[in-house]
Amino acid sequence: MTVVRDPALAADARRERRFFLSLSLPALFIVGLAAILPILWIIRQSFLTTAGEYTVGNYQKVLSSGLTWSALVTTLELSLGTLAACILLGTPLALALASVRPRLANVLMAFVMLPLWTSILVRTYGWLVLLRRDGLINAALTGSGLTAEPLPLVYNFTGTLIGMVHYMLPLFLLPVYAAMRDIDPNLIRAAASMGATLRQVIRTVIMPLSAGGIFSGSIIVLIYAIGFFITPAVLGGGKVNPLSTRIERTLSTFQDWGSASVLGILLLVLMALIGVMLLAARRLVAQNTVEASHA
Amino acid sequence: MSWLRISLTAFAISAALPVHAQTVTITTAGGDYGNAMKEAMWGPAAKELGYDVREETLSDGLAALKMQVTSGAVTTDVIHLGSPEGAQAAAQSLLEPLDYKIIDPKSVPEGAKSDYCYPFDSYGTVMSWNTKTYGQNPPKTWAEFWNVAKFSGRRALRANAQDSIEIALLSDGVAPADVYSVLSAPEGLERAIKRLEAIKPDVAVWWTSGAQSAQLLKDGEADLVITWNGRAQTVKADGGAADYTFKGSVIGTDCLGVPKGAPNKEAAMKLIAAMTQPARVAKLTDFIAYGPVNPAAYEGGLIPEDRLKTLATAPENAGTSVFSNSEWWVKNGEAAQRAFDEMMAR
Repeated sequence: MTVVRDPALAADARRERRFFLSLSLPALFIVGLAAILPILWIIRQSFLTTAGEYTVGNYQKVLSSGLTWSALVTTLELSLGTLAACILLGTPLALALASVRPRLANVLMAFVMLPLWTSILVRTYGWLVLLRRDGLINAALTGSGLTAEPLPLVYNFTGTLIGMVHYMLPLFLLPVYAAMRDIDPNLIRAAASMGATLRQVIRTVIMPLSAGGIFSGSIIVLIYAIGFFITPAVLGGGKVNPLSTRIERTLSTFQDWGSASVLGILLLVLMALIGVMLLAARRLVAQNTVEASHA
Repeated sequence: MSWLRISLTAFAISAALPVHAQTVTITTAGGDYGNAMKEAMWGPAAKELGYDVREETLSDGLAALKMQVTSGAVTTDVIHLGSPEGAQAAAQSLLEPLDYKIIDPKSVPEGAKSDYCYPFDSYGTVMSWNTKTYGQNPPKTWAEFWNVAKFSGRRALRANAQDSIEIALLSDGVAPADVYSVLSAPEGLERAIKRLEAIKPDVAVWWTSGAQSAQLLKDGEADLVITWNGRAQTVKADGGAADYTFKGSVIGTDCLGVPKGAPNKEAAMKLIAAMTQPARVAKLTDFIAYGPVNPAAYEGGLIPEDRLKTLATAPENAGTSVFSNSEWWVKNGEAAQRAFDEMMAR
């Protein structure tokens, strides 16, 4: 940045900055209205009895219930399972996409993005058709004699995880692909010319430089996965009950807005914790990379 | 500019016209069910009374009712609820007491009577099965439904304590008349939950919506499904390999209530009385297999003979069934549901 000395120019720059700032006001207004106000309302609701008196009873009730903790465990299992699958499947895929010719990459990317443009309900029911007892996959397995009995692929944890990974994979892929595509090819050539093997190139050049993308992808996956409702509700067969379905049950069966609000706040806290942990991990990795490159 | 002038003129005309018709707003569940109620019940009743009836549709009536009454912005005059929700709403003082001077108190059998929500039609929670799996020998009682050695197959139950715990007790040899006294006694609920836990390994799906239960039955995803008679009947009528029985069914009712602070209270009572006349609730069965609660609707051939066997409350289907007890559910519903959810999480 050049330093502006002319006072008229400086005033101009200030006006410009103010103008740009004012452009963000509608967005800020909407965020305030659509995100912060409801959260404040939920926090207030969590301290009210059904009769409208202030209480901490909702917290006692929810936090002392074994159902809350088993729902929390299910939420974590689903989210971390989805994240692990996304990293394992998505990172090599992003690497492949980033290394092919741009035109081919665009075609492949369209295939990856296609599910993102389909309604989640359609996709979830699509999986039901594929995975159920007399569905396509089981028909192929039993028809070819690979398995004697249809496999229990849906109405359980496995089916829920399949549906969630399918939804989350494109969202994970985008930032990872973007990070990998931005890696300067000269760095890879340089590493290769210094005698690095492919594995060494991946470990010492590509992975550290795409770590930011992987972290962004992971945050997106976890934030979405923690609140997933439709997929566990449809593909879980009533047996997979994370916090989201617990909230639905509390609202629709018990009309207990207070307890449901406490559960919502629990989700919010969980999300904040995961965010903080990931940011800390990211800083740690960045530090290590810097040290390693100095060594 | 010209369309603005036209709309202003239209507004002026409509404001100038004197309002003759009494306006009443009714909230129904919508869909096929809501349409059936409009065609058979409130449509003709509105014509008779000269009311201008407006319909709102909602899938979760109780939540909406609570929202309207607690916020003080009541827009609906008549609301359609399930009877347990009706009883819950009454307990939370969300409903006006019914005016039995306008509504005929003799039109409801003693066991189903309510001071706040008028029961008008009924459905059964029934046992249904895949006819390909069991052929001519399906389970005939709930005890046999629980007998997984003799009747192997994948079960599907509703992910809700309602009706499930009554059925669990019936399967354990409790007589239909004793179900609620057993449930109210100490350890009665526990007995029902234990019974459900015993069959849990053979439950492939715990369903959450009626449409889902029909799909499971139709696709053969489950061999034995506990579902609502309307759903089972639809699958059967559509040519699915399915059948069902009313033996041992748990009968529930739907009811009509007037929200506390409704704008047109008296007109609402009159509409309820008119739309539930025997001929009208009998006519409802033209559209959907939900039988009238009013015994008079079964007299005089109002309902064709061959349709009677598809209705939960038809005289020939009565006897082995249990009337769902809304009062018990209002008092014990939360504890029962919690025990059920804990059983599911184990």
